[in-house]
Amino acid sequence: MSAAPASTGPASTGPASTGPASTGAASTQAAGPQAVAAGCGAPAGGAAITDAGNQAVVQGRVTKDGSAVGTGYVRLLNGDGEFVAEVPLGEDGGFRFFAAPGTWTLRVLAPGGVRAEQAVAAATGKVVNLEVAV
Amino acid sequence: MSRSDVLVDADWVEAHNGDPGLVLVEVDEDTSAYDKGHIRNAVKIDWKKDLQDPVRRDFVDKEGFAALLSERGISNDDTVVLYGGNNNWFAAYAYWYFKLYGHQNVKLLDGGRKKWELESRELVTEVPKREATSYTAQDQDLSIRAFRDEVVAAIGQENLVDVRSPDEFAGRLLAPAHLPQEQAQRGGHIPTAKNVPWSKAAEEDGTFKSDDALRAVYGDAGVDFSIDTIAYCRIGERSAHTWFVFHELLGQPNVKNYDGSWTEYGSLVGVPIKTGDES
Repeated sequence: MSAAPASTGPASTGPASTGPASTGAASTQAAGPQAVAAGCGAPAGGAAITDAGNQAVVQGRVTKDGSAVGTGYVRLLNGDGEFVAEVPLGEDGGFRFFAAPGTWTLRVLAPGGVRAEQAVAAATGKVVNLEVAV
Repeated sequence: MSRSDVLVDADWVEAHNGDPGLVLVEVDEDTSAYDKGHIRNAVKIDWKKDLQDPVRRDFVDKEGFAALLSERGISNDDTVVLYGGNNNWFAAYAYWYFKLYGHQNVKLLDGGRKKWELESRELVTEVPKREATSYTAQDQDLSIRAFRDEVVAAIGQENLVDVRSPDEFAGRLLAPAHLPQEQAQRGGHIPTAKNVPWSKAAEEDGTFKSDDALRAVYGDAGVDFSIDTIAYCRIGERSAHTWFVFHELLGQPNVKNYDGSWTEYGSLVGVPIKTGDES
């Protein structure tokens, strides 16, 4: 389904991307092992990551009419459409995945039967930022 | 044991919320979810701070569990309805944990916090006040908890069900895709384990699939229902969800959750590991 995680080639972030990752001095690095120790839970919200380190980060915001959707879920589906992970939206509509390199689909679920899907390409060392409108 | 003994739906919770002898408990890793809003009258349990020993890698002991439930105002004869985020991963983990220490009447809210939220049901921030109790915990029921040596001994002998995602099973990822990837362990799976991600047991709204659909999911993956089963994942909470399916919904008699799971197994010296998509 995906290339080896060791891939460090230039990322194709696809048409969904809103821009290349910043690696400036003010960047927020991908969380280290201390965040992992917390377990499998889905941490909602939190500052957006701007330096992916060795992670393949897919993050963004879900909006409706330009405003954040603060209640809902984003599911990460693999190239076969199979479920891989899910996170709740933060109050700012934010979400984040640490994926493997490859092509994924994001599926948004929100109250009132709201659904939206968006394709995204992830690559090691890259942060893909998305805004998903529902 | 039937489905109605171990699962309740949201309408049932709304109808019975506040009944004497019923305690709603939200179980999350991220307790800010509870603080942001929870089902009225629900108390919270933090799966890590409340249920794990702060120093050793193990659970709080019997006395610790008794002290926790006493402080939260839960009695031995209360019916405890658990729910939480992550499609009830941690609620299922707490369910298994309550059973481990001998609590009799435990149920899961089918669909957990997600279905409740997606249906726009009431969430409140008011924290209930419950009188402290004198809870008595039992010794751990080790018929539902697997340790590393019996997992190694079960290779090729029992069903080993790896409920992580295919990428974790194959060794391409070491953690679920919503978490940073760790490097401490070797990637892969326990030889002969069948990969049936926990999510195969759940509908998109977080509810459990029907018994027939569940039997088909595991049967098609090569699980033999006539032999004993050990489920594992990365840290034992997704596999508690699958333990619940096998033991509580499908009524399989000998099912254990290996809570050490991949973070232990993948760090052991000398044990066999298989990489790639094949069992």
